[in-house]
Amino acid sequence: MLRKIKDKIKKLASPRKKVLKPRSVVKSVAARRKAKTPEKIPVEIMNKEAVLGAREMAIEQTKFSHPETLKPRKQMPQDLPGGYGKDKITIQVRDPWWLHCYWEIAANTWNNLINRLKDLFFGSKRVLRVYDVSRINFNGKNAHRFFDVEVSHDATSWYLDTGGPGRSWVVDYGLKLPNGEFITIVRSNVVTTPIDGPSWITDEEWMVPEEMFGRLYGMGFGLGQATSMGKGWQERFKKALFSGILSSPGLTSSGSPVRKRAKERGFWLVVDCELIVYGATEPDAEVSIQGKKIKLRPDGTFTMRYYLPDGKQVIPVKAVSADKIEERIITPIVTRETKTSNTVNEELAAQFHKNV
Amino acid sequence: MNKGYLCLVLHSHLPFVRHPEHEDFLEEDWLYEAITETYIPLLWVYEKLVADGIDFRITMSMTPTLISMLTDQLLQERYCKHINKLIELSHKEIERTSWQPQFQRLAIMYLNHFCRARDTFDKYHRNLVIAFKNLQDLGKLEIITCGATHGYFPLMDSCKESVRAQLKVAVAHYESNFGRKPRGIWLPECGYTPGHDEMLREVGIKYFFTDSHGVLHGTPRPKYGVFAPVYCKNSGVACFGRDLESSKQVWSSIEGYPGDYNYREFYRDIGFDLEFDYIKPYIHPDGVRINTGIKYYRISDPSGEKQPYVPEWARDKAADHAGNFLFNRQKQVEFLYDFIQKKPLIISPYDAELYGHWWFEGPQWLDFLIRKTSCDQDVVKMITPSEYLEQNRRLQVVTPSMSSWGWKGYSEMWLQGSNDWIYRHLHGASERMTELAKSHPEGTNGLVKRALNQALRELLLAQSSDWAFILGTGTHTSYAVARTKDHLLRFNRLYDEIKSHAIDEEWLSEIEYKDNLFPEIDYRVHQ
Repeated sequence: MLRKIKDKIKKLASPRKKVLKPRSVVKSVAARRKAKTPEKIPVEIMNKEAVLGAREMAIEQTKFSHPETLKPRKQMPQDLPGGYGKDKITIQVRDPWWLHCYWEIAANTWNNLINRLKDLFFGSKRVLRVYDVSRINFNGKNAHRFFDVEVSHDATSWYLDTGGPGRSWVVDYGLKLPNGEFITIVRSNVVTTPIDGPSWITDEEWMVPEEMFGRLYGMGFGLGQATSMGKGWQERFKKALFSGILSSPGLTSSGSPVRKRAKERGFWLVVDCELIVYGATEPDAEVSIQGKKIKLRPDGTFTMRYYLPDGKQVIPVKAVSADKIEERIITPIVTRETKTSNTVNEELAAQFHKNV
Repeated sequence: MNKGYLCLVLHSHLPFVRHPEHEDFLEEDWLYEAITETYIPLLWVYEKLVADGIDFRITMSMTPTLISMLTDQLLQERYCKHINKLIELSHKEIERTSWQPQFQRLAIMYLNHFCRARDTFDKYHRNLVIAFKNLQDLGKLEIITCGATHGYFPLMDSCKESVRAQLKVAVAHYESNFGRKPRGIWLPECGYTPGHDEMLREVGIKYFFTDSHGVLHGTPRPKYGVFAPVYCKNSGVACFGRDLESSKQVWSSIEGYPGDYNYREFYRDIGFDLEFDYIKPYIHPDGVRINTGIKYYRISDPSGEKQPYVPEWARDKAADHAGNFLFNRQKQVEFLYDFIQKKPLIISPYDAELYGHWWFEGPQWLDFLIRKTSCDQDVVKMITPSEYLEQNRRLQVVTPSMSSWGWKGYSEMWLQGSNDWIYRHLHGASERMTELAKSHPEGTNGLVKRALNQALRELLLAQSSDWAFILGTGTHTSYAVARTKDHLLRFNRLYDEIKSHAIDEEWLSEIEYKDNLFPEIDYRVHQ
């Protein structure tokens, strides 16, 4: 079972196929024509099926399945404000390992710092100091540990790899002076990352043997009843379930530019035929086509449109005058015969394959 | 005597999309498609079961935005227009396919489906919420609520006032529609952060759901895994964890049922396949090809050409799959009953729109499953969370773990390079809303009150997780960007106007007309 999951994950790590964007109408037709299995949802996340929630997200996306309108919006909204004029840093939990933080420092605060620090300011680095404040009332000095991440001068947000599931965190944005001194400009809220596996704490009243819990754990994740336990089961599950996260670079990147992928040829052609049968008679006549009565326009004209399959179609069109005295029949006979031929220019093809 | 329980949960949600300022608006079709393909077919299933005297239990969330749209007069009128167009197109299709009997019978099937849908829509005087309410009143459905606009709570944790407002507005809205308080909630995207359960208790909600790891990674260890709910520490609100085994059978594209070759192919729609001039009146007026809902092919063996859909084969398959699902639940329940010495509870939640819209045969499958469960066996019994809690008062106390049912199980779907820019603005607006609510603690005069209430509407609409979701998927993003910005800009302007005592009444009326949901909203809930 675990090997199966690992295999799936391996697949996920392999280069992604080029994804068709439903935005382009022409391409969409191609995608639809060529779609062979429902796995071909035009969603990148579908390629990460084994990762928790991937399928749910792919289905959710079909709710919003329309391509975008070609007409530009009459008025695009103006931009949102660049800032809100406050010193503020906020951190939020992305997953057991990663935090996202964003900040804003008011112009006034920068000016005060420059006035206070003079030249020191310009020699300083912008730093995020990440404190582990698990289970304490943080006063600025009593953190279990901290680490610094240098950020670029113009950055206003960052993803932080805490490497610490199940811990509480506070982040200061500040300056690191050339002498190593750290000056806090603004301090964040406190957040707690979730643990990345089952808790080690058990309840006396609700004791559950390790072996039993291990099996219930595997079953809850849909890994079957026969999951064998033994040492290290938690680590194995963790890897299986969350490897999508563990291997995440922290930011979404749209395909690595380094990896070279074999270019798939997606050339295609679809041809169909329809037949339009039209005519005119007295507006009060009764008309039938192939024995089926049809409706006339007020001026006595009519138009019928049919999909034309291969083979011979005999199409008697009969009109009967309102007084039933006269009857006219005209019978078009139409034959469709479809031939196909596919050729490949071997010379150019060889060149193409050499290039990819 | 049954040995365990099955709790099916269908989460139905669409973001609030309503553009009275445009004659035709592409994104409004999300609602019309879901009505024709999911909500009405589900009603047919439920109503037939009731008529046949089959007992069943389904838990169904209906989000306040969805309810607002289903009860909106303009959208109701537009749906009628939409379904009439489809009926007209089906008639043309029946003619066009005269020489292709294998397609013509499908065109007739669609015509019947659309006509029936129109009849059902008319039967409830265009208000489908009434139909669902009736089923709840009969005790067959348990309708639960959701965040007011489906805001993703874990990323609102730094401004809990907004989580509270999402909850309070939702509960009030539920009460006005269903005539009682909601017992449970589907947290938007199943997103839970420890502590939010206390706000659920404040608004009188008794239970919520998390994904499997929400409970399995809870502290202390949950004795029964996800097969029994737990009470949250401090709040005493019950938390039900999802069973992934039953979920996978339906959701998975590898092991799941909807990928069967006999089922209808979602991606071959005549809106894309047919000749442009013919189909033009039924796609978007700009000429953008869209899904019409008429689809003639089955998924088919990938090695060959797509084959025409054969409804009888698909129906047989749906029956098989329902039998298989039930068989697996029986085995699962029997094993667990011996293993944990207690009747297990299997929680199987799905997006409602999976049924019918994405998986055309989904409602049939559900119908077969319910009938088989009710008539053919007594190992597994369907139950709602409320019923389970009434029968099982003693539960373990656990603090569930932060989690969601999104991609990778946490918040990354809504927090990545393509959408993380929104939170600075959403949180900024949330702080401003709290400031406004605090500075106007008592009721105010008409115009200021209207502006304050509209400010909260705009904030809530900006918070819909759907915008971040769409930005995260990278398709259809311009609409999501525009919606996020529009609502935030409207909010910011209202904030400035309220602060400077210069409310532009004409403009306020205009946005009240556009963003008209939650008429009874009270800005003071944002505290």
